[in-house]
Amino acid sequence: MLVYIVRRLLYALLTFIGITIATFALIHVAPGDPIQYYVGRGAITSSSAAAMEAMRHEFHLDEPLPRQYAYWLKGILTFDFGRSVTAHQPVTTVISDKLPRTLLLNVIAFIVAAAIGIPVGLWSASRSGRLFDRGSAISFFLLYSLPTFWVALLLMDLFSIRLGWLPLFGETSDGYADMTRAGQLLDRMRHLLLPVITLAYGQLAIFARYSRSAVSEVIRQDFVTTARAKGVGEGAVMWRHAFRNALLPIITLIGLTVPYLISSSVIVEEVFQWDGIGMLYFDSIRARDYPTIMALTVVTSIVTLLSMLVADLLYAAADPRVRLEADR
Amino acid sequence: MRRTAWQRFRRSKLATLAVAYVVLITIIAAAAPMLTAGSPDAIELNAHLQPPSTQHPFGTDNLGRDVLTRMIHGSRVSLLVGYSATALSLIIGSLLGALAGYYGGAADWIVSRLIEVVLCFPFLFLVLGIVALFRPSIYTILIALALTSWTTEARFVRAEFLRIRELEYALAARASGAGDSRIIFRHLLPNALAPVIVSASFGVASAILTESALSFLGFGVAFPTASWGSILAIAKDYIEFAWWLVVFPGVAIFLTVAAFNLIGDRLRDVFDPKEG
Repeated sequence: MLVYIVRRLLYALLTFIGITIATFALIHVAPGDPIQYYVGRGAITSSSAAAMEAMRHEFHLDEPLPRQYAYWLKGILTFDFGRSVTAHQPVTTVISDKLPRTLLLNVIAFIVAAAIGIPVGLWSASRSGRLFDRGSAISFFLLYSLPTFWVALLLMDLFSIRLGWLPLFGETSDGYADMTRAGQLLDRMRHLLLPVITLAYGQLAIFARYSRSAVSEVIRQDFVTTARAKGVGEGAVMWRHAFRNALLPIITLIGLTVPYLISSSVIVEEVFQWDGIGMLYFDSIRARDYPTIMALTVVTSIVTLLSMLVADLLYAAADPRVRLEADR
Repeated sequence: MRRTAWQRFRRSKLATLAVAYVVLITIIAAAAPMLTAGSPDAIELNAHLQPPSTQHPFGTDNLGRDVLTRMIHGSRVSLLVGYSATALSLIIGSLLGALAGYYGGAADWIVSRLIEVVLCFPFLFLVLGIVALFRPSIYTILIALALTSWTTEARFVRAEFLRIRELEYALAARASGAGDSRIIFRHLLPNALAPVIVSASFGVASAILTESALSFLGFGVAFPTASWGSILAIAKDYIEFAWWLVVFPGVAIFLTVAAFNLIGDRLRDVFDPKEG
């Protein structure tokens, strides 16, 4: 197990370095001079050659690329991503300001998707080939094919505009400060509802399909046949043998859904004007705020890397076959 | 052999319907200029935001442009991006996967680490970043999609190569003096393609979905080129008055994406010996 953990950590470190190099290269291959761009947008008051030179120096743009990369990498390791060009604040402050909102949205969506998707997947696997199984398989497939932004538009159109039941966007209503505690909570929940549905439905479909196929894999194996042959009841076969073994691959899925959720956040937050990481990324791309773009790309990738790492380690801890294979 | 695969495929009516739809929409996209009377960009300001009528079956948008005409032309963008991005990522993925699986050792190690790095980037973040920083155009979208989605194909081809490179026919080819490139391209790659075809079908669906999302967010094909996503971007601003702007392009994206997903799913069942 120790060998496995050490090797996995070493690979994660390599991947981390790869992520930073790729991000750095991408930004520096992109056409256009950031300083020129900021001058054009009036982000710098004086466009004199001296002022531009000073700014170039401040961002280390006058030094060779490897050294620029070293500066940036050193910054990452100390959580210093430089200053946001648009917000005039350290990037770290901007990100930690918005992160809780995105986390709130994503954690709730994740729980909703898992709480519905996994049981439905397990249930349909136990009814393999019957109407419920085939019906749910097709409907989850169609659900998965729905464009996120279109679903968001339709939900807004129906619940906010036509029925007027829910607010269009944002996190709180105008008179939020004057509400009672319970009123504030209710108001927040009403604002959360549509973004959570939009974020959760695609994931729910993935969870259901994946857990169904995980159970189907297990059911084909010999020990399940043996259990049935011994006369174990169908319910016990499913609960004690099939589901418990199928939960292992589902752990891996949790690691894989993190990048999916982060990606969807950009669309959902933009449509519902939810002031989190996704909207920040969108705004920084539009304003070409390079320090923020680089920071967000690296931070979200590292979050993904860590979630995959945790999923892998959990899997290895639960299933000795994995670490034996790796140690060989 | 090929015939039996198609016969098994046809047993799913829904998947067969999806194939028919894909053929139809591809023909529509290819023949778009012949199917539409006016230009998709023809502006008619005194006929703006008109509901569906016999003259404009899908209504008009905020500039009085005919939505049906724009959607027919928009199908070209969606399908061109879907097919080409998938073809590109298929080429990159198969080559790298073949190299990794065939040679193993250092080649395998490098390709595997590369895949891990690409997988860590949230897909839409990376695509949006590349497209926006390198000026949005259909080519940038193609390259961005190919660069981010080749990993699936590479993993499948690599795994197949690891399995089949030691099989008798590969050894026989080597024993009779065939070079590495001949073994890879003539003997192994054609036999490793089944799982790749499945993932290609899902790949087209995902590329179409991503292109429409980019167009919706304003980072798609250049203005005024029509695309399904860009019609929806306009719809967002007129959602209270113009339901036809929201419904028709959305349904078009959904049906097309669903069709490719259904085909991929059916292909997986057909190629999978464990299922009927």
